[in-house]
Amino acid sequence: MIVSLRINGEEHLVDPYPDATLLDTLREDLGLTGSKKGCGTGDCGACTVLMDGRAVTSCLVLTATAEGKSITTIEGLSTGDEIHPIQQSFIDFGGVQCGYCTPGVIMMTAGLLADHPHPTEAEIRSGLAGNLCRCTGYSKIIDSVNAAALLMEEASE
Amino acid sequence: MKPASFDYYRPSSVSGAVQALADSPFAKVLAGGQSLIPAMNFRLATPPMLVDIARLEDLHGVEVDEHEVTIGAGVTQRHVEMSTRVAEVMPALAEALRWVGHIQTRNRGTVCGSLAHADPSGELPALAINTDADLTVEGPNGIREVPAPDFIRGPFWTDLRPGELITSIRFPVAPRGTTTRVAEIAHRSGDFATVGLVASLTRDGRTIRRARLCGFAVAGTPIRLRSVEGLLPGVEQLDETAGRTLADAAAADLEDPVGDIHATGQYRREALAALVVRTVRSMLEDPQREAS
Repeated sequence: MIVSLRINGEEHLVDPYPDATLLDTLREDLGLTGSKKGCGTGDCGACTVLMDGRAVTSCLVLTATAEGKSITTIEGLSTGDEIHPIQQSFIDFGGVQCGYCTPGVIMMTAGLLADHPHPTEAEIRSGLAGNLCRCTGYSKIIDSVNAAALLMEEASE
Repeated sequence: MKPASFDYYRPSSVSGAVQALADSPFAKVLAGGQSLIPAMNFRLATPPMLVDIARLEDLHGVEVDEHEVTIGAGVTQRHVEMSTRVAEVMPALAEALRWVGHIQTRNRGTVCGSLAHADPSGELPALAINTDADLTVEGPNGIREVPAPDFIRGPFWTDLRPGELITSIRFPVAPRGTTTRVAEIAHRSGDFATVGLVASLTRDGRTIRRARLCGFAVAGTPIRLRSVEGLLPGVEQLDETAGRTLADAAAADLEDPVGDIHATGQYRREALAALVVRTVRSMLEDPQREAS
C-alpha cells in the first residue's frame, strides 16, 4: 500500500506495513528522529507532531490513515536558518532538561498556541497535560510557553 | 509495544464498511483509534482486520438544533469541544470532553468511538446515559436506534452485533436552566477516574426542579443515581443534615461497587457519596452560571 504524506512541506511516498505508525515511518523510513517514542500508548506525548495543524500523538496514528495529510515535525517547525520563537523561548527560560520530551512539548505548544494565542496558565497546564517530563521541570516549561506566546505576538505585529 | 499483525481496509461507503465487518466477524472498526491502538499494542485486542471509517463523509456531520445535537461517528472529540454551535445548546458536551484524554488524543479520538469502547471510567458513556442519548447503528439487517442505557451492556461491552457499527449519536438538549458538571477523583490529575460523576441540575431561580446524576468508574457501567435524583427537586441549599441524607442516598444507589487495585468497593461507595454532596453543593452556590 503506497501512502503519500506531506511532511514538513515535502511530498513523500512510503510503503508501510498495516501496523506501521506515523512515528515508525518518520523515524525509521524517513530518518526524522526528533519525534521520540516514549510509551507507544499515547500517554507520554514525546511523539507529538502536527497533523493538518493539530497536535496528535504520532504513535497512535497508523501511517495508512495519514494518507494525504500534512505533517509538521520538530525538524520542520522553523523555516530557514532562524529557530522558531517557541524553541528560542525554551532555550531562554530553561524549558529543556534532558531533552527527551522536548520535541513533543514544543509541538504540543505549537498546537496549543494555534487554538489559544494568549493562553492562561490553566490553559497551558491542561494543554500540556498529555506531555510527561520525567525531569519534572514543569514550571520552567510553563514559563517557556508563556514567553513563546509573547514572542510570537511581537513577531506578528 | 507492538500489535499482532492485521490487515487494513478503508471502505468508500458505510455499506462497504458493514459488508467488510460482516465478512470478517472479528474485525474492528477504526475511527480515531485512541483506545483501540493502545489496546492492540498491549495485545488486549488482536483483530485480524481494521475497517477505517474515519474518511467516510457521511459520518462527519454535526447537526445542531434547539432540540438535539447529532454527532457522526467520524467526528473528533476536539471538534465537538471547540464547536460554538454545540456550546450554545449543549455546553455539557464541552464540560465532559475536557476530561477525556488530552488534547492530542481528543484531536483524533471520536465521540462515538468512546461509546463503542464503553470504558467504565469514560465520561462520554456516562453523559450519554445521563442525558438519554440515542445511538444510530447500521448493520447487515439495516439501521436501528439504541438508547444509550441499553447500548452500554458492561465493561468494554456494548449492544453492537456482528457486522454493526455506530453511525451517529443524538443527544437531546436539556431543559432551559440546566447546568451540567463533571467531577472526578483520581490518584493524579489527568488519570483515569477512580470515581466520577456527571450531575445535571435544572433550576428555576435557586430551586432545583429536575436532577439527573450518573456515577461512573464505580461499577461495570455508569449508574444513574435514582434516589439522589428523587431527593433533589425543591431543594435550594444543602445544609449538613440534607447533605448526609443525600450522601446516604448516593451510597444506596451504588448497589454493587467495583473494587480493584486502585480502590476498594467500599472506598468507591463513600467517595461517590462525598462527590455527589460536594458537587451539588458547589453547583447550588454558583447561581450566576446561567446555562442550559
